[in-house]
Amino acid sequence: MRYSYIKPRKKTALSKDMQLLFTFFGVTLSMLFLTYMFLLFRDYRFDQNRAEVLQEERDLRVSIETMKDKITSIENQNILSQRVFTKNIVLKDSIHNLFDLVPGRITLSQAQIMENGLVLYGVTPNKDIYNFMLQAPLRSIFHRTYSSFYPLDNGWFRFVSTNYIDEESNDEY
Amino acid sequence: MLSKILETLYTKVFINIIVGDSKSVVYLEVVSKDEVISSESESFKTNILSTDMYTYIKSCISKSPYYYIAILDKSANQGAVPTCNDTKRYIDTTVLNTICIDKEWTCYTSQDDIKDLKYEYQSVGLDFIFSPFSILSKFFKDKINSSLSIFTLLEEKNISLCVFNNGKLLYAEYLHKKIFSEEDSLMMDTIVEDDDEDMSLDFDGINLDDLDADESMTSLEDFGDIEDLSTDIDIEEFSEAQEIKEIAEEKEISVDDINDDYNKFIMIQDSINNFYHDDKYDSEFVESIFIADSIGISSDLKKYLEEEMFLNVVVRKIGLEKELSDMARAEIL
Repeated sequence: MRYSYIKPRKKTALSKDMQLLFTFFGVTLSMLFLTYMFLLFRDYRFDQNRAEVLQEERDLRVSIETMKDKITSIENQNILSQRVFTKNIVLKDSIHNLFDLVPGRITLSQAQIMENGLVLYGVTPNKDIYNFMLQAPLRSIFHRTYSSFYPLDNGWFRFVSTNYIDEESNDEY
Repeated sequence: MLSKILETLYTKVFINIIVGDSKSVVYLEVVSKDEVISSESESFKTNILSTDMYTYIKSCISKSPYYYIAILDKSANQGAVPTCNDTKRYIDTTVLNTICIDKEWTCYTSQDDIKDLKYEYQSVGLDFIFSPFSILSKFFKDKINSSLSIFTLLEEKNISLCVFNNGKLLYAEYLHKKIFSEEDSLMMDTIVEDDDEDMSLDFDGINLDDLDADESMTSLEDFGDIEDLSTDIDIEEFSEAQEIKEIAEEKEISVDDINDDYNKFIMIQDSINNFYHDDKYDSEFVESIFIADSIGISSDLKKYLEEEMFLNVVVRKIGLEKELSDMARAEIL
């Protein structure tokens, strides 16, 4: 409870000069502290950014590896496709050559092109025409050639020509 | 925050000033954490802030930056009224400073007197100005709340008088010493006469100068040879004279005291009569009086009060400086 008619004056242990001095030092210290805090914050942000960049780098590396794998895969696919394409061209050429080989008097009814061989079914007026006009070029192409003839009612022969290329030659190819 | 920490590190100095009519007392208390570690008192023969007093207070102030100067209000325009809310019924609050005490009653003093006091002590400054009524209520707190009595604080020239009924203030007045009227003086003389008749007679019958001179001359005539003079006789005569002087001085002091006590009695009596007759106050018949004695009154005042006013008198010594210091400490700590 208050009993005095007046309020006590405010007391302080610091003189005016000391107050000024303390204020100056206080402001200076607070500025230093704020600068220090700012630097700490910047350092923290820098670390955070660096971590983010490192993570990004790691992700990119992983991505690069994945892409490399994909590229390898695509390259392999490309090689395969080229191979297939080449094979197809060869096959096409082979078929084209095959049809070029077949003379006009012999009629093919079926042709089976295999990896290492060719089986032809057809009709020939006689065996000689076949032997001279078809078998001779086939022999020059294939290593082994087997022919079978079946006589028809009209005097023609149905033939089956089985031709093989040996493995070694095939590998070279 | 910093100031609070510093405050706990420093000791607090309480400088309490009691201004009397002829002298002022400066009481110093050095307090550390609610404990009084040292105290001293210095008296100055002045009732204003003299150079000596100023120097002493300045030396006290230099002990700690946390110093508080308290003074007892001596304003003639102070008093107390028995309400906190309806003070305008009793006093003009526009020119008075008021403090509500215990939500029951109000101390007041003149704003101008407070300004004058602050102006007078502006070189050292003042932190607290206490009313004698608040000191009185604190000093008799145990009695105020449990009885219907008159409570007075006796100072050198002033009396703070109030009437409490179980903690409720009925009446209060701040009294100054009056100049005797002739009528009062005569009344007082008759009262004093009976008690001091013998002493007065003895005193009147002795002429110190005559006694001294005659005795010496007779001795010189009787003893022709100066070498035969006994030093013992002179010493005895001299000591007798001294005794007589001392008695005379004591008597004068005693008479002054009686005057003073009678004066105080008259002041109290007038004030109580005013209490009984003024319609503003809820007067009740009071049978006892508690006196806080700061000056050392004689038994005469007690006797007057008992015999003339039929009051039960209880006198309790009060150290005003100490009470002032306690009040100041209570405000701060």
